[in-house]
Amino acid sequence: MEFNYLIEGPVSSGIIASYMEMISSVKNAGGHSFFLGQVRADVMEGKTVTAIEYSAYENMVVAEADKIIESVMAEFDDVKTVRIIHSKGIVKAGEISLAVMVSAGHRKHAIDACAKTVELIKERLPVWKKEIYSDNSHTWKDNQ
Amino acid sequence: MEVKVLFFGVLAEVTGTALKHYSDVSRMSDLNHRISDDFPEIVHYNFRIALNSQIIDGEHTLLAGDEVAYLPPFAGG
Repeated sequence: MEFNYLIEGPVSSGIIASYMEMISSVKNAGGHSFFLGQVRADVMEGKTVTAIEYSAYENMVVAEADKIIESVMAEFDDVKTVRIIHSKGIVKAGEISLAVMVSAGHRKHAIDACAKTVELIKERLPVWKKEIYSDNSHTWKDNQ
Repeated sequence: MEVKVLFFGVLAEVTGTALKHYSDVSRMSDLNHRISDDFPEIVHYNFRIALNSQIIDGEHTLLAGDEVAYLPPFAGG
């Protein structure tokens, strides 16, 4: 099954289930590592985060995500597939906004490549987040 | 000749626009001057610039149809 890198709203359990169904055909893989990023209900100055609104430079997301996958597969030669799915639009606290799913011949490359992919996403993917609070005020957050 | 300019994240909020077209700009320095004239508040923010989806630094020649994006620090994940 083919996915885009960006989806509107939260990453659903159905998307993750679809990947799990797909990997049953990847018979040269012996381990799969998943990272799920969740919107956390942080409290800032007495106000609770209720949601994050993500926006993205969509053409550049595609170009950068392609490059991230290419560099991870070059560094970890046991990796068979890398999937990146990031939300755009509103994701409520408790919902999933990022899924990285890596399949490899053996567990070490699956785990290490998954961690590396997440770090590269944080550093290179042109995505922005606006934290929305319980009083409807908001703050722009970044990864620095 | 015309170039397409995109603003993202907090920069879209402070400029009040996500997309603007500029004519008669042949270099990045020309465009940056026009943008700082139109949106003086932008100087208070950190950003990088992408030309046709590639991050650039310093002077570049602009061609008709180029897409220039002003990118605040990334916040994916």
